[in-house]
Order: sequence, then structure tokens, then C-alpha cells
Amino acid sequence: MIKSTYAGLVLGSLVLGLCNPGMSMDPPPQTSDQKSDPRSTESNHTIDFINDLIPMITKLGCNAGKCHGSAIGRGGFKLSLYGGSPKTDYDEIVRRHGGRRINLADPESSLIFIKPAEFIEHGGGAVIEDDQHSMLLLDWIEQGAKFIRQRELKHIEVHPARYVATKVGDTTSFKVLARYHDGSTRDVTNLTRFTADDSTAVRIDKGSATATLERTGRHIVIARYSTEVIPIELLVPTSQVAPDLSHETRKNFVDEEVLSSLSELRVPVSPILDDRAFMRRITLDLTGRLPAQSVETDQTAIDRETIIDDLLRSEAFVNFYTLKLARLLRIQSKQDKNLVTTTPQAARAFHDYLARQLRARVGYDQIAREILTATGDTSKYGPAAFFTAVEDPRLQTEFTTEVFMGSRMKCANCHNHPLDKWTQDDFHGLTAMFSKLTRSQVIRLNPIGKNIHPNTGEAALMKLPGGEFLPEDTRDGRSTFAAWLTDRDNPYFARAIVNRLWQSLMGRGLVEPLDDFRATNPPTHPALLDRLASDFIDHGYNIRHTLKRIAMSTTYSRSSNPIAGNETDGRFYSHRVATPLGPEVLADAISDVLGIPSRYGNEMPGTRAVDLKDGGVRSDALDILGRCDRSNSCEGAPSPIGPLAQKLHLFNGELLNNRIGAHSGRLDTLIKSQKLPIEIATEFYQVALNRHPNKNELKFFEHLFNPKESSARQRAVLEDFVWGLVTCREFTINH
Amino acid sequence: MGDILRLQRATADNPLSNISAKAKAKSCILIWLDGGASHLDTFDPKPEAPSEVRGPFDSINTKLPGIRVSEHMPRTAKILDQLALIRSVTSPFGVHNFAIQYLMSGHKPTPALQYPVMGSVVAQLQSNQNVLPPNIAIPNLISRDSATIGNGFLPTMTKPFSLGSDPGKANYQVRDLDFYQGLDLTRLDRRRRIVNSMNTLGNLELQGKGPSDPDLERAYNILASEQAKAAFDLGQEPEYMRDHYTLDPRANVDDSNNIGQQCLLARRLVERGVPFVTVNNTGWDNHLDLATYANRHPGDPRSASHALVPGLDKALSALVVDLADRGMLDETLVLVMTDFGRTPKINSTGGRDHWPNCFSVAMLGGGVKSGQVIGSSDALGEFVKDRSITPGDLAATVYTLLGIDPAHELETPDGRPIRIAPQDSNVISELLA
Repeated sequence: MIKSTYAGLVLGSLVLGLCNPGMSMDPPPQTSDQKSDPRSTESNHTIDFINDLIPMITKLGCNAGKCHGSAIGRGGFKLSLYGGSPKTDYDEIVRRHGGRRINLADPESSLIFIKPAEFIEHGGGAVIEDDQHSMLLLDWIEQGAKFIRQRELKHIEVHPARYVATKVGDTTSFKVLARYHDGSTRDVTNLTRFTADDSTAVRIDKGSATATLERTGRHIVIARYSTEVIPIELLVPTSQVAPDLSHETRKNFVDEEVLSSLSELRVPVSPILDDRAFMRRITLDLTGRLPAQSVETDQTAIDRETIIDDLLRSEAFVNFYTLKLARLLRIQSKQDKNLVTTTPQAARAFHDYLARQLRARVGYDQIAREILTATGDTSKYGPAAFFTAVEDPRLQTEFTTEVFMGSRMKCANCHNHPLDKWTQDDFHGLTAMFSKLTRSQVIRLNPIGKNIHPNTGEAALMKLPGGEFLPEDTRDGRSTFAAWLTDRDNPYFARAIVNRLWQSLMGRGLVEPLDDFRATNPPTHPALLDRLASDFIDHGYNIRHTLKRIAMSTTYSRSSNPIAGNETDGRFYSHRVATPLGPEVLADAISDVLGIPSRYGNEMPGTRAVDLKDGGVRSDALDILGRCDRSNSCEGAPSPIGPLAQKLHLFNGELLNNRIGAHSGRLDTLIKSQKLPIEIATEFYQVALNRHPNKNELKFFEHLFNPKESSARQRAVLEDFVWGLVTCREFTINH
Repeated sequence: MGDILRLQRATADNPLSNISAKAKAKSCILIWLDGGASHLDTFDPKPEAPSEVRGPFDSINTKLPGIRVSEHMPRTAKILDQLALIRSVTSPFGVHNFAIQYLMSGHKPTPALQYPVMGSVVAQLQSNQNVLPPNIAIPNLISRDSATIGNGFLPTMTKPFSLGSDPGKANYQVRDLDFYQGLDLTRLDRRRRIVNSMNTLGNLELQGKGPSDPDLERAYNILASEQAKAAFDLGQEPEYMRDHYTLDPRANVDDSNNIGQQCLLARRLVERGVPFVTVNNTGWDNHLDLATYANRHPGDPRSASHALVPGLDKALSALVVDLADRGMLDETLVLVMTDFGRTPKINSTGGRDHWPNCFSVAMLGGGVKSGQVIGSSDALGEFVKDRSITPGDLAATVYTLLGIDPAHELETPDGRPIRIAPQDSNVISELLA
């Protein structure tokens, strides 16, 4: 199309002044605070390289990783990824190869135009299809192909930023408004690239910037203009009938936020758990243990707040949350291929440190500061072992930002992060701080340590992520980083940890994966995440406070059994997400039910899996149950062994078989006390499931246990019953 | 528009119609070179390129005139007429986990949905009631990022069964196939029935129909079948056959994974009706020194016996001959795939880094039109020169060769239809015999 008419269009641009994409668009609906009319600011027709040309190149995909944005460019033409470095892009377009890409005398014969418009062969095909885009490019050359930045972008606004449709098939059009530091604004919709996270749920028409919603649920479209990336949330209710959620109890802001999103999506909620089921859930969630067998809870209603407080005060809570933190911090004895070593003593020391801090209710901000600035002998001062968890300073940057910011900075090692704001300077600036440390068993400052910035070939300057450079003579930048990180206005730190706490009680993070916070991966409940974070900060970064806040909500206590209309919801908390017991918790629960502990490495007999201080302790049982190898992030890692191999082991392996009927175990003891099989079964139900067998189960037991059979055979049947109990679904998940 | 939709729906309802009549392949062996094998040092050498691209190895002539491969693949060179090479595969992903997801599933990774790998799709659609798992990984699927590489949205039944033990090692034995002392099949059967009763009679509502714990059911069925257990026993292969697949059968291979024995086991499994077997051969992520391509531990003469490229050469050529001898070549599709290629320019340590822009894939057997090279890379092996092929195209072709319509739709648990090969993928028609 362009091939036949481009000359006419160029003419048209001169006559009609169509050079600027903002011109032909209506201004967005809300422009009350607009300081100047976009039309007037556009009137000089000057093409701005930074604000017009680069965004257009990004929109057309020329600087994407698979085209000229690749690390070595493409076809001898290299652009920075998504326009991260406009200055080098300008040199590449205008200056390199003696300027042969630009023909000022005859813009239409410039290589930079005839290639993408495919007048001559172009590997990427005809990418310029829109008349406005070709005219923008031609006018820029006509005006002298200058490096002009007329103004500096402040941010963009997308309208609507959130859209709630009424049904599948609804459409909405986007408008994007750029705000500049000089106070001017303009419509940049035609220079913005829109990408749907799920292209089968949202269809985007690029020409009109319109989204058509093709599936129910919540969907994300990413708008990208220049360096700005904004997620747009699109909701399509799952049903035409709105459930009445107005009578649901709202205990705190958790319930307000969760119910408000469920109302929008028109999803009904499951009922509240009874006391026994609640006891099992909360005890497992806060202490990693089955509830203790003591008082009959059937007669009088329990006070759930007292239960929660007691659990949070217990040593079992300290041990279980120490395990969670230890897994997060990858505490295990190891030696990697760079010979960076964590000794078993260091792993224990770090584990003990965490337990002490949790026991003493030290704020999470202080724990983070102490870990990040630790020096000294790792075997004596555990937190220093944070710097032997990974092999080198660059991995330390990835590890640190994943743990404490929930942010994956990895991409910014080699190029500015394509989906996030992180630049190479951010990555290498943080790495520069970690380069000033010896990675030995004693962590010391190493004044000559440096991190070579791949772009400059020189030592990178220390820099706060997204912030300022540190003075060149800084010896140890870590305390500045730690102070910045744990500042109450830091947008990452508190959100990352409350998201983890939320996930540990609710089965799913508000942001998933837990360590992948970025603008292009927004939370399911942004306001809830914000409120949890401020509430956490306001209460002294107190982990117990936030856990209690969540545990006290009605949302937490919903049944995991779905009801009609919410069966397919896995993200909006209409019912509890049933989660498999973690490998350590399951191993301990099995031991508790069987009445015989498992042995772990050379640990003292009776040591619980949850209490192991070193993730590197050998244990086939834990490996089979799916223990995470802490040499990498444990986020979302499922059992590496797979369900079939796991079941084969349950049938034929040692995990259960060598303990079920063993001497002085629970079953053996009960049999020797002359109890009837049905009494034994009932007791096992109490211990394992915290409930009595129901009518149908009792009937099944009567059928299963035959008192006329030989005692050896009865014993075998009882063993098989116990095997079934610790293998069944109700036992192996928290529900 | 309506007609088109109806048409699609019609084919979708019956994935095996039309195409299956023509399809010859009944099963697939995917030889996965984990970490990203260098295309320049295997199937796409550049003898004319400057030394920093050409690399340390020579290239040799093959059975196909004008087509050369690495000097370390002499056996494959002799039977190259039985292979089809694709030298123009391209992907945008240069990090392992995304690359593997794309190559193994044919779908670009997205945060919105986890796609199943091809083996899981085949497992889901296969109709035979074999006791053996329909999707087996030797010795396991993938060590990195296992969360995102597997059955995706499909049931766990289709997740690759990982042996957890490497047939390339002397102490190979698939765990937990023998009865624990004091147990027999009668007791295992009772245990299975007890679990099923507890699951159905208890207080939790179960999703779906069928046995309450399908994985337990499958484990039981394998334990109940002597034949199924024997499928994993390499000791039942004659000595000469074990030697045939391996470079130096007397070498100490305990420190390595021996691709020859892995491929031999794969052959045993497809022979017994397993529709999809992945041989996951590790060690190809070589950033440091290309010498390991010819000798796994440079300086240690014993390790020449299981060097990467010669080992692949021996195993691949042995597999082709063995399958042909057994009359299984036509019904067994063999793929050699990898995460991505390696940077054409050798880096400062003498290795090559990740390079997804252009790399090679080999296919043979099962209805593949052999003796051809499809597509080409440019003079330095940097980019596709001719006939760009995406991982989506590869998946569409594999499904077609296996008699499965690439446009077939599977349903996610929330009822969303997903094409098994992406909408924009095309079957590589010249590959179909």
C-alpha cells in the first residue's frame, strides 16, 4: 500500500501538516490540569528524536530483542533494546557507515526508510504500514535528522487504566497521555505499543488502540511508550448475575478488598470453616504442625483470636518461620564451583541467628539491615553467610534483589531490563558494592574489589537501584543500600515480604511468582498489597502482626470446598486455595502420626525436619517428598521427582514401610493395649485429621476390619489402613 | 466466519481424523541437548568463516553432497541421508528456562498460562491403555526451572515420568519397582483401595471423575506388571547392543551421563509402546572452553569415551541402525533439539555463549522425508538466511508426523480452549515424506 502511494503521502504531510501523531487524535477526556493545549505545542512540527522517533521505533518492534535490539544487532544494524540508549541509537542511525542510512537531500531514498517500508529487501518485512509512521520518519529526515529532545518525559497516563466490562465481546479504546517536565502534555496513543499478556483473552487492534475482551476474568494489557511501561487491568465478570456479598463479614481491610474484587467479578464465596478444620489449618500454617490432641473442641466455640495469639507466641512458630526465612535466604552448607563455601557451622549459625531474631520479635527491617551489612567469620556470625550463598557478586545482586525487593534484576546484567525499569547501571552499581567483599569464610571488606561494567570496560560506580550514584570513594556501599531499602518510602521491601506472608497463609501470592514484582506483572489486588505493606510498616515491620491481620480475616477462614459459581476461581480468594503440605511439614506430620521420628543425617534422633538448621543435610525422605534444593531460588519449585515416582516410593520405599508397624510406634502400642481396630482407626483419625470418622467412613471400617481373622492378618490390615491415612488427600494437603 | 469456526471445531473434536491415516510415526524420541548445543560445532559448521567463528574443529563431508558436519560426527555423516537437518530455527529467547519452554511446548512462554511440553500433549491425546507412563524422561526432564517445564495446564498424569536414575551410569536402577519386604501385590491393592475410600468418603470435595488419586493408580499398575518393570531393565539387552550405542563401553562413565545408554533405553521404551520419550542429555551449556565438545574432561584420556559430540554421534547413528534393523524406523520419530545455538564468535575464554537467533535441529524416522537440509544460516551462522523456522513450526510438524492435528484444541481447567500448536505456526511441509 505504501509502495504505491508514499510519494503522495509525503506531499500530503507537507500540505496537511500530519507529521505529528498527536495532531490527529482527540485529547483524552481529563485534561483539566493540562497546562498547554497539545495542538499548540505541536504546531512547530519539529520531530523530537527522543519523544517521537524512538517511541515509534519501539512501537514498530525494530529495537526488540529478536530484531535490531539483539546484543549484536541484526543485519549490521544495532539498536539499543527498546530504545534504552537513545544517544547510541542516534549515532547508529545517523553517523555510522558514513551516514549512508540517511539521505538528507532525498529523504525518501534514505535506507532507514526504504528498508522498513520494504521498497528494498528487508529481513523483517514491511514494518512501516501506517501512513503517520512513515511521514513521521520522513519529516524527521527532512528536518535534518537531528538529535532533538524538546522536552523531558515525566510519565504517561493511560485512559482507562482499569476497565470493568459487562460481558465478553465488550471493547474499550485506550488513550495515552504523555506529561513532560515543562508542563506540556500530548496524546501519544499512536506511538504507544500495546501488548496483551494473554492474546487469546484480549484482542488488540493496533490501528485504533482498541481492546476486545474475549474471555471472562482479569486480564492485563501492557502499554509501552518511550521508557514508560504501564499495566492496564481489564475485568470481565464471570457471570451475568451478581451474588449478594453485602452480608459477608468484613473483619478488616483484607475482607474489604477481597470482597470488593469478588463483587466486580461477580463470584460468590464459600462458607466459613468449622472450629476443628480451622484449628488444623491455622496450626499447620503458623507452626507447620498438626494441632495438638487435647481439649474437645466440639462443645464450646473456640476463640480464634486467642488460638492465633497462642500459636504466634509459640516456639514452634519461631522454628517454622525460621525455616521459611532460611529457605528464602538459601541457607545450606555447600561449596560451589568457584569454591565459595558455606560450612555446616556457618549454616547453623545463620539459622540460629534468624531464630533468635524471630523469638525476640526483631523487626524485619532490622533483620534485613543486619544481614545486608554483615561482615566477619561466617561460622560465628551467621548473617555473614548471606555472602557465601552464591558464587559471585553479580549473582549476589540477583539473589539480594529477589529476596528483599521481590525483583528479578538478572536481565539488566547484559542490557537494560526490557520489562522493567532496571538499567545496567542499576545492576552493576549494586554489584559494585558486593564486589568490595571477600567471598571467603570470613567476610571482609576488599578495597581493591571491583565490578567491571560491560559497557564501559571500567569499574562500575556504586549506585542505588533506580537512584543516585554513591561517591567514588565509598568503601562499603551496603549500609547506604540497606538504609534505602528499609526506608518507609521504599516501594519494594515491605511489599515483597508481605506478599510472601500472604502467600504462606493464603496459598497464593498477590504477585506471582513471589520474586517477580514489576510493572508488567501487577498484583491481583493492588490496593490490598499497598494496605498490607503500610500496615506492616506502621507496626514496626512485625511479621507476627501481619500474619495475625491476615489470619483474623474472614477471607482466611473460608472453606476450600468450592460452591457453584466459584469452582474455577484460583486467584481471587472466593475459597481457600488448598495447598500440599511442604516436604518438611509432611515428613514431620507422618512422623507424628506414626509415633516414630525420622532420622536426618547425623542429627540427634528426634530432630524434626522443620527444625533442621542446614538445608544441605542428607535425607532421601525429604528429597522424595520434594525438598527444594536451596542452591537456587525455591520460589514455586514443585517436587522435582514428580507424582508417579513419589507414589512408587510410598508403595515400595522406606519412608512409610519401615515405620508403620514398627516396635513402639503408635500402631504397635495401640495394638498391644488390646484396643479394637475400630478404636485404633478412630484415634488415628483424631491425630491425623483432627476429626472423628464420619458415618460412611465408620461403615467402611466395619467392612475393612474383620475380628474373625488371625491377629497377624488383622495387624496387616491395620498397617495398610495407616498407610492409606497418611497417603490420602485430606492428610497431605492443608485445606 | 461461522463456517470457519465450525470447521475448526469439527477437526478439534477429532484430532486423529484425516491425518492419522497418513501418519506413520507412533512414538517419538526427543534427544534433548540440555543447555544449548552449538550449531557451528555440530550440524552447521562454517569452514569458510574466520577462525574466531569457525572454532577449533574441522568439518567433514557427508553422504549428502555439499553438506558438511563437525569432524566429531563421522558416523552421522555417513548416514546423513537418513536424517533431515533444519539449519534455520530461530527463537527470541536467550535464557534457558524461556528457551526450553518455547522449544519443548512450541508456545512462547507467557505469565498467563503454563503450556504443556509436547510429550505431555501426546500423553493426553494418546489412546492406548499401556501400563507404562506415556511420557518418560531419561533420567529426568529438566533440572532448571522445573516449575514451568512439564505438564502445564494438563493433568499430572501427563507429566513426564522421570526415572530419577541415569542409565548412563553403572549403578543405574529405577527406584522402588521391587516390593518392599513383607509386601505383596495383594497388600498394595488393599492400600490403594483404602486410599480411594478415604478420598471419596472424607470431608473434602474432589474435583473431577475417575480414581481419586490417578497417580497412585498408575504407580500400582506398573508395580503389578512384570513386563512393565522389565521395560526399564537395560540388563536385558545383549552386551553387544549396549556396546553398539556407546563410544567406549569399558570406560568409567560414573561421572557422566552416557547418551548412548540413554538412547538405548529410549528405544526399549518406544518398542514397548511408550509414545513419547525424552532423553535429556546434560552438559551442553559450554561458555568456557569448546574442548569439552570433543573431550568431556580435557586432559583426562578416559573421558574421551563420553565426550559430548562424539557421544552424540555414536548414539544417534546406533539408534538409527537399531531402529531400522527392528523395522521401527518408520514408526519412530527421532528429534534432536536444544535450548538454542551458541554465539558464532568465540568468547574470550574459548567458549560460546547463548544464541537463539539461529540454530539447528535434526529429525529422522517416522514419516520424515530424509536426506535434505531445510533452511540455511548466513555466512557466520548468526541469522537465518533462508526459510525461517520457529519452535511453533517444529511443534506443528511433530504433531502432524505423529498423526495429531496441530490445530486440535485442549481445554484448560477453567474451560479455555488452547490450540496444541500456536495459531501462527506452520507445518514444515517439505519434511513430510
